[in-house]
Amino acid sequence: MKDLLPFIVVGLASGSIYGLAGIGLVLTYRTAGVFNFAHGAIAAVGAFAFYELRTIHGLPWPIALVIAVAGVGVVGGSLLAWLARYLAGAKTEISLVATVGLLLLLQGFLIWKFGGNTRIFPPFLPTRTVSVAGVSVQYGQIIIMIVAALLAVGLYLFLRATTIGAVMRGVVDDRALVSLSGYSPDKVQRLGWMLGAGLAALSGVLIAPSLGLDASLLTLLVVQAFGACAIGLFSSLPLTYAGGLVVGIASAVATKFGTTRVLQGVAPSVPFLILFLALLVVPARRLAVVQQRPKFRPHLVLPRPVMRLAAGTAIIFLALVPWFAGVRLTSFNAALAVVPALLSLALLVYISGSISLCHAAFAALGATTFAHLTNFGLPWLLALVLAGVAVIPLGLIVSIPAIRLQGIYLALATFGFGILLEKVAYPAAVMFGTIGARQAPRPHFLGIDGTTERGFYFIALMVVLTTTALVVALVRNRIGRLLRAMGDSPTALATHGLSVNVTRVLVFCLAAAMAGVSGGLMASQAGRVGGTGFTSFQSLVWLAVLLIAGRRPILAPFLAAALLVVVPAYAPGSFVNYQTMLFGAAAILATVLPEFNLGGLLARLEGDRAARSPVRSRTDGTATAPAPLPPAGALPVGGLS
Amino acid sequence: MNTEPRTGQGLELRGLSVTFGGLVAVNNLSLAAPFGRLTGLIGPNGAGKTTTFNACSGLNRPSSGHVFLCGDDVTHLGPAARSRRGLSRTYQRMELFDSLSVRDNIAVGREAGLAGGNPLRHLWATPKERRDTEARVDDAIARCGLEDIAGELAGVLSTGRRRLVELARVIASGADIVLLDEPSSGLDSSETPQFGRVIRSMVEDEGKALLLVEHDMELVMSVCDYLYVLDFGTLIFEGSPREVHDSPIVRAAYLGELETHESGDGESVHVPVGTGAV
Repeated sequence: MKDLLPFIVVGLASGSIYGLAGIGLVLTYRTAGVFNFAHGAIAAVGAFAFYELRTIHGLPWPIALVIAVAGVGVVGGSLLAWLARYLAGAKTEISLVATVGLLLLLQGFLIWKFGGNTRIFPPFLPTRTVSVAGVSVQYGQIIIMIVAALLAVGLYLFLRATTIGAVMRGVVDDRALVSLSGYSPDKVQRLGWMLGAGLAALSGVLIAPSLGLDASLLTLLVVQAFGACAIGLFSSLPLTYAGGLVVGIASAVATKFGTTRVLQGVAPSVPFLILFLALLVVPARRLAVVQQRPKFRPHLVLPRPVMRLAAGTAIIFLALVPWFAGVRLTSFNAALAVVPALLSLALLVYISGSISLCHAAFAALGATTFAHLTNFGLPWLLALVLAGVAVIPLGLIVSIPAIRLQGIYLALATFGFGILLEKVAYPAAVMFGTIGARQAPRPHFLGIDGTTERGFYFIALMVVLTTTALVVALVRNRIGRLLRAMGDSPTALATHGLSVNVTRVLVFCLAAAMAGVSGGLMASQAGRVGGTGFTSFQSLVWLAVLLIAGRRPILAPFLAAALLVVVPAYAPGSFVNYQTMLFGAAAILATVLPEFNLGGLLARLEGDRAARSPVRSRTDGTATAPAPLPPAGALPVGGLS
Repeated sequence: MNTEPRTGQGLELRGLSVTFGGLVAVNNLSLAAPFGRLTGLIGPNGAGKTTTFNACSGLNRPSSGHVFLCGDDVTHLGPAARSRRGLSRTYQRMELFDSLSVRDNIAVGREAGLAGGNPLRHLWATPKERRDTEARVDDAIARCGLEDIAGELAGVLSTGRRRLVELARVIASGADIVLLDEPSSGLDSSETPQFGRVIRSMVEDEGKALLLVEHDMELVMSVCDYLYVLDFGTLIFEGSPREVHDSPIVRAAYLGELETHESGDGESVHVPVGTGAV
């Protein structure tokens, strides 16, 4: 025990900061109903603002701290409140993408402005130590613990004992009731966002000295906060704060034991493990759900002949690509390789109303399996198919949280699982070898030589079109109807006799297998496979770009792949510096302005046409005449009855 | 899923109680909805009607008591397993598949049961199943008068039409024990009598067991064969519509405040199904 104490002290200090970040996150989730995936990115902005003011402009640290925290709180909070208002009626998986987009935008901006390298962040709190129970503790750590505890208690009392606090707790349940009582729901929610963003900025500034100034690392602070929130069931502030301490201490203690080769990946992944396990074991009923029933947005139903014509044109275009692409054919090849993964993501998000933020991990396992199998001498195509099959067990694991959880909690569980694999499995020699990369061969079959770019293009195109045809066939068949129905009302499906859990397992296994095939294609295209192409960050980017490309389940994956790989190849060389930022901004726009995404404008026109159709306007003036399409959940008066 | 007319016990509740924390939503309720009878369950707002329905279909767990389907105790079974024993329902707050066409909504009512818990049968329909589903869907659409909107997305329809789509979905499912939760609220004056005819025919021509929760007293009195009256989760009266109408107990608890209820256009309570709306 004695030799554990120093680790516990370190854990308490960092845990206090995780707790602060966690309560900021829970506060905004509970007041606005939108879960902010970019909480860690806001923390990073706070830390960079402080660094800029203090280290570059030489302000005294207390002034820099106040300006950074208050500035991020007021400006960031107002912007978030504005964003959240547009997301109120969106489906959870869509509003999630908006905050993922914000994460990409902020992180992309910081890396563009300050570079991707970790900078030293000089400590500003006193580093002198004092001996407490035989353990030397920095004064700075003690100050952090005290300040964090005071803030947590103060916020708790503010919400419990003041009128505005009570309004803040109630506003997410019933905005109308809040405005009836004389408060502006918008102002109350803005205050919530400001407090949340301020707390995020403060936690960023406090954690930066021990973490270093690194936009990617600081953004991941959010996952520690997620773990804290999960322990607090996403509703209780005191429990969330305690959860932060648990995450901090567990991580610190794990570093003591995680010194062997096998366990060295475990210590940094403790927060993700806690997040994943907490979401697996906490009773799903106890998790706070603050989502209103989303508004129904009709999608455009195109007549079959139009669809066939579009598909035919697209295939002809794809077949002609090698004749005009020139040296950029390599990029087209890379784009084709990612299409099956995006197709399976679209199947999950657009058709079955589910979500996965560990798609890159699926692809990674597929890629390495493909490399192993071809190295054993298996034929290329067989290895590719088996690469898909090998990922199915991973899909099974992920479907366990998918059965229990929906929406934001499923997103968090899959995100945690993806990072867990990235930290624990990717470094293992069996994944990407001892040098972090494996060789993967190119195909040679049907008389086509895949070692040339043109040959590979046609082989990959055949694989992609076969996968697409499979998805189209499924979507048009019973499973397609069941999946769409599951996205709308799993309850009604269950009371009509469907074991919805079987459906969920099925769709996750299918999606995992397709992502695995994609991974195999990517490995073969690149000729080698390493972990760097399959980070959890990549999973976020895939989801964001998919949404930018529109919401048609077959077309969007192709457009998204082009946006991801082909467009940058045609853009000027400096584009890579802005790419993440642009994707982030576009993802926000694509979620906030539903008409912004391709095809969305037409769908809106279609919606207007439906509004004018005789069916919808058929009322005959009786007292019970139905209101024309009341958006479900738009007028929740539950609190009044 | 039996389509033959059946006799005897369809749905039966024995001593059912449902509690939420300290609130007793349903208290020691026993009732029967046998085949060939249209049974009504009425009571003021908050009497526990929808909670009873959720307990019947397996969406919430009773704290005590039992649910029987065709004489078998199904209290321990989930919603899907109960449905495969012939139970289906509609929802007060409609649970339609908004992004599917009316036709597909109704077809899924049947296909969900065909797919059941078998992953392979999830994937595609056999030609025989497809023909069977088509025939049932056509029949349900015709009976509910939905021909003109069969191709529309369910999400863009009016409330009244949505109610009829839910009813058609239940009809196509082939379920012979059907729970209808306030199916007429939002229907217009031409739709309500048609609705009444459809559900009478389900009972008289097909011998199904129907349990109806409804606030439209005119409809209840004209279509139901037998009524149960709930108040604060407790059964206060049962009997024929005539007996219920004449009962002073019912009058005091419920009919006395009938006017205020009816003018309110059904209920505007927004409580998600499954969380125990009462």
